[in-house]
Amino acid sequence: MTLWLMAGLLFTPLAWAVLTLLTDFAWGRVVTWGGIVVQVLVSLGLWLAVSRDGGFYYGLGGWEAPLGIELRVDGLAVTFVLLTAVVASACGFHAGVYIDPDKPWHRYFWPLFWFLWSGLNAVWLGGDLFNLYVGLELISLSAVGLVALGGKAAALRASLRYLLAALLGSLAYLLGVALIYGQFGTLSIAGVVFWLEDHPVPAGSGLALALMVTGLALKTALFPLHRWLPPAHGIAQSPVSALLSALVVKASFYIAARLWLELGEPLGNLAAAQLVGLLGSAAVVWGSWLALRQSALKQVVAYSSVAQIGYLFLLFPLTYSVSESVSQQAQQGITLQVISHALAKAAMFLAAGNLILSTGSNRVDALTGVSRFLPFSLFSFGLAGVSLMSLPPSGGFAAKWLLLQASLGSGQWWWVLVLLTGGLLSAAYVFRIYRASFLENSETDEFYHPSRSLEVIPMVLALMAIGLGMVSEEVLSVMALPFEEEGSP
Amino acid sequence: MIRTLKTLAMVAACVSFSGILALSIWTIAGQPAPVNLPQLLSENMARSGVEHPVTAVLLNFRSYDTLLEIGVLVIAGIAGISMAKTASLEDPELRTSDSLLYGLQRWFVPLMLMLAGYLLWAGAHRPGGAFQAGAVLAATGVLMRLGGVPMDFLRPGLLLRLGLVLGFTVFLLVAVASVIGGDAFLAYPPELTKPLILIIESVLTLSIAMVLLALFVSAPVNDAEDPEEGSS
Repeated sequence: MTLWLMAGLLFTPLAWAVLTLLTDFAWGRVVTWGGIVVQVLVSLGLWLAVSRDGGFYYGLGGWEAPLGIELRVDGLAVTFVLLTAVVASACGFHAGVYIDPDKPWHRYFWPLFWFLWSGLNAVWLGGDLFNLYVGLELISLSAVGLVALGGKAAALRASLRYLLAALLGSLAYLLGVALIYGQFGTLSIAGVVFWLEDHPVPAGSGLALALMVTGLALKTALFPLHRWLPPAHGIAQSPVSALLSALVVKASFYIAARLWLELGEPLGNLAAAQLVGLLGSAAVVWGSWLALRQSALKQVVAYSSVAQIGYLFLLFPLTYSVSESVSQQAQQGITLQVISHALAKAAMFLAAGNLILSTGSNRVDALTGVSRFLPFSLFSFGLAGVSLMSLPPSGGFAAKWLLLQASLGSGQWWWVLVLLTGGLLSAAYVFRIYRASFLENSETDEFYHPSRSLEVIPMVLALMAIGLGMVSEEVLSVMALPFEEEGSP
Repeated sequence: MIRTLKTLAMVAACVSFSGILALSIWTIAGQPAPVNLPQLLSENMARSGVEHPVTAVLLNFRSYDTLLEIGVLVIAGIAGISMAKTASLEDPELRTSDSLLYGLQRWFVPLMLMLAGYLLWAGAHRPGGAFQAGAVLAATGVLMRLGGVPMDFLRPGLLLRLGLVLGFTVFLLVAVASVIGGDAFLAYPPELTKPLILIIESVLTLSIAMVLLALFVSAPVNDAEDPEEGSS
């Protein structure tokens, strides 16, 4: 059964990318909605299978690592596969209504969307350093293609910048992979970890980890390497922005986190861990501050992503040479932060898209009076904001609560200040949008009303972000499942 | 002054990075790797269906990487043609009527097609294979296009898109067929390995050439108006 599920998970997005390439946008939409149903069912099935029987290695082509490529199907991976299924299908449904089907180049939206999805799954499941690189390339190129879709000058400029940043990041990562391969003779992460367990750390291997993490930090837009993100996420169409902010930046972070958790203890050092945490904190403060000062609505949301990404990098100091329980708390907190930010930010971008569609402007001050006409979208925006501000009972609150405990438990109280400042600043930029929308203006009374289905989707996502706080125990329990160490099922 | 300082700082950063990298590589090269992958590879060559280790790695042991890499190429092709201006594909100004080029082409095109075929076949036992053959095939196409040979299949229609994904589709179908046979994704049945790899390589050659050619042809950018979201 799991064999079928795995094959379905790998095959569906790639097959649907081919199918939708051969149709036009309107047909592609119908085909895609069918594919989304299949992919969601497969993801859910795999999640259930793993939560019942535990994780396993899946050798592709019947070859085992290190000769072949093995996928690591564990609780964390299937949780993210499921998260991707939820967020991507929401964006897919939204895009089907939101995107203008008459523009001939929009037909290429669907194949790029499916390739992006397959790349994300490849990264969540990847256990091989080079295969992860290929997954990253799939993601980056399809994301760049989605931003550039239509080829307008401004979009091209933003996407080219994005492409160059992503390529530079990939190259740094690849250089690190080459060094690891030269040193250990294998590309399998599990193989390297297994060898390090009972051998001393060989000289010269710290640089490989540093290069890989730096490259991935550039791809995740960690401060001060974040400058490519706001233009790209701001100029893309809203469903694309939602995909980019919710999932794409998480993929490179996920690899960095996996590498750090597996190899950080032997290959890393305390100064590096604290430095990454410091950069993350700077991202939280600086990103939130810039979000507060943007005049364009989607730029506010994009800078908020820069800030929220900053929290993720607190994983590095909070798991380095601390006790097992503190490390566990930090990992759980970061996982919740990834999930809740993905849901909340997707909701926020989709709601922002609806607001822009309604007012016909991307400016924050054009929102004047929109609260009477589009309360539903505005409410979704606010609910997503609640999770970003990390108010109880949202998923954001549960995440930051765990991070707070981990900071205090490891005696690194300075991260608590970051968590508090970040929460306050995010409240400020969310309220700024609200303030603009509740102002009354007698002149503009004409608002376009987007279709109901566009308004329902961000609401569902925002409610999930809020609800995550109440089911966080159940979500986290899947991660702690036993992992079958040897061979495939 | 500030520019000079900036340049100096950049140079210093580059030099020190190269130094550290060189030192690391020197240290790594001095120690033997704990896993001897080349030996493992040669032990399994008999089961791979081909004689050349690079082809065996690309199309059998690590075929999943290759499948996804072909996906990356298709994405690049899609992104390229999504920006193409249809008119430019038939722009007479882009064609030359140079008689020397025309004469050369009559010699070169058959030769290059043969070379592409040879490279594809050679991949089984010596360096070569779909990527090299596809590149030569694409170069042939570029030459033909510059020489003004009409190539209707390059218009952004169904035929072009079919050509882009043909290799990828066949590869994917082979991958999933083994699952239906009760095996892992991408596992070839032992007795069919050689013919399957040959089929995959051949269609990949066509599609790789198609992607490269489409990227060459679709270089001009679309200047149709699509107002940025909310800018109106």
